[in-house]
Amino acid sequence: MNRATLTLLALLLVCALSLVAAQQSARKLFTSLERAQIEERKLNQEWLRLEYEQRNLSKSARIRDVARNQLHMVPITPERTLYLKEAR
Amino acid sequence: MRSVGFSTTPNLVLRLPMWRSRLMLFMLFFVFMLLLIRAFWIQGPGNAFYEAKGVRGTQRELELPASRGKILDRNGQVIATSLEAKSVIAYNDTVPDDLSAEKIRKLANLLKISEAELHKKLKEDRKQIFLKRQVDPDVAQQIKQLEIPGIGLNNEYRRFYPEGEAMAHVVGFTSVEDRGQEGMELSREKELAGHPGARRVVVDRLGRVVEDVAILQLPQNGKDLQLSIDSKIQFLAYNAVKNAVEEHRATAGGAVVLDTQTGEILALANYPSYNPNDRKKLNGEQLRNRVLTDTFEPGSTIKPFTVAIALEKGAVAPNTNMLIGAKYLVGPKPITDTHPYSNLTVAQIIQKSSNIGTAKIAMNNLSTEEMWNFYTSVGLGQAPKIGFPGAVAGTVHPYKKWMPTDQARIAFGYGISASLFQIARAYTIFARDGELVPLTIERSPVFKPGTHVISAKTAIEMRNMMESVTEPGGTAIKAQAEGYRVGGKTGTAHKLVGKGYGNKYRAYFAGLAPISAPRIVVAVMIDEPTGGSHYGGDVAAPVFSTIVSETLRTLNVAPDININQGELKDKNSIGTQTASAKIQPVVLKR
Repeated sequence: MNRATLTLLALLLVCALSLVAAQQSARKLFTSLERAQIEERKLNQEWLRLEYEQRNLSKSARIRDVARNQLHMVPITPERTLYLKEAR
Repeated sequence: MRSVGFSTTPNLVLRLPMWRSRLMLFMLFFVFMLLLIRAFWIQGPGNAFYEAKGVRGTQRELELPASRGKILDRNGQVIATSLEAKSVIAYNDTVPDDLSAEKIRKLANLLKISEAELHKKLKEDRKQIFLKRQVDPDVAQQIKQLEIPGIGLNNEYRRFYPEGEAMAHVVGFTSVEDRGQEGMELSREKELAGHPGARRVVVDRLGRVVEDVAILQLPQNGKDLQLSIDSKIQFLAYNAVKNAVEEHRATAGGAVVLDTQTGEILALANYPSYNPNDRKKLNGEQLRNRVLTDTFEPGSTIKPFTVAIALEKGAVAPNTNMLIGAKYLVGPKPITDTHPYSNLTVAQIIQKSSNIGTAKIAMNNLSTEEMWNFYTSVGLGQAPKIGFPGAVAGTVHPYKKWMPTDQARIAFGYGISASLFQIARAYTIFARDGELVPLTIERSPVFKPGTHVISAKTAIEMRNMMESVTEPGGTAIKAQAEGYRVGGKTGTAHKLVGKGYGNKYRAYFAGLAPISAPRIVVAVMIDEPTGGSHYGGDVAAPVFSTIVSETLRTLNVAPDININQGELKDKNSIGTQTASAKIQPVVLKR
């Protein structure tokens, strides 16, 4: 075996090992991508849930109840309202 | 010299024939050839089968979930949304028979079913069975922690309706399979439905995904749908109807609120209703969207149209005086009024809701064809095209079949039928100076041109007459709304029971507000009021009043009567300046 062959063999080995390393890191990246996507889905769901919860807390029936019974508010009526006109 | 061992003797040497070794060689060669061919087959032409096997071992097809679109109200508030839920599945082959009683008890508790029922389900002779669908995620987590072999969880979506009863008939609901069953969920199923995608991945020994191979189909989420409904107005309309039904011990009620400028439906309320989040004990009565699917004889609410035709023709004017009398004989049965009048002007006929007056206007001035044409041109007898399931057309019989007695009675609303929604839509011609406005249930806040049906002059004259209905001397003083001039027409119709008119009534009020620049049309129907009065002016008009004043306030429409007018001198001092008008003291009610 001459020197050229040996060099090529060494090169081949280096290439083969780097391929393995590249494959490994690709897999790793893929797993973390996968994980991130699952996380994204979860967060999306969480957002929808929170939106729904917020909606539940802000629905008209509840606001009316809280305003009337807890805060003792009464609806505005024109008699108790002053309508302002902008001065010219 | 060759030596020969003592134990060998040339005589005993067995000379094998040549062909035997040749045969052996050939057979070995043949077998190797077979192997070669086989190898070639596996590598070449027959490869697909093995490749498929290999793929099956390492690759999986996964579903890419897609969610159903949300339904929003006009302000972007959620009125229907899909949240993730789990379904609990038992693979009965895998579930061990000697499952501990403790675990069964816990599982039954979590699923909220009895242990006996759970046992029965697990014993069932099926490969897999749904133990429960649409389980809350935290309950699903607890089930997972029980670690019972053969009990699996599947992803699902569950639909939630935050507005509950108030919005039930508008949005409708979906089935466990996430398909629309009623209301907008049904009619817009195509747009709302999501289409799950699929992808192919490489998995390792433990089933973990390690590589993407291909996306076979991209998932498509359903589109969000924004309605024209305002959940605040819907809520207040629903409550007003509900309170009236309870107060008058009626069987049902409904109300519609329309924006006359944009043709948007702001509210569409029905009572009795149901909670779309919990549909266990539903009956047909609760499910009915009366506003759209029930037709009734509109009674006096039709009178403004009859009078409008005559005004439009120039046959009468609002101040034309007419002889009324106690009875008017057309056909076998005389027409009567609740209170007899000797003389009334055309305007008073509307104000007092005189059957005789309206019938006389029709019989003296209008042909059956003119009446039919007009009623049809305001949308009676045709199903409204708003994309709602089950919207009915009502009936306006062909005018050629009308007998004089029919014509006289149709003039004041008997012998034709319409839904409350159709009546409300027809009233837009008075609000929009003679234009019939196209309606929509999807948000589109732009001015919509309509089709001209009557002249602006007639529309304004009719508005004034309808305002007088709510003034002293009219049939519906209770329709007056705080701060706003309103106009409308009462209706009290005998209900057809079997073949004749029984002792049951429907009370209506349809009208518009504010009169100075009409913004909304509101129609109210209360079915079979029994507590005391059954007149539209007593039963439906107060509901109209509540809905109008609260809706206009919600829409920020400036009042056109009885306001405390102040002047804002310095914009920057709002809140600190003293107003030039007196505000009445505020009394807090508890």
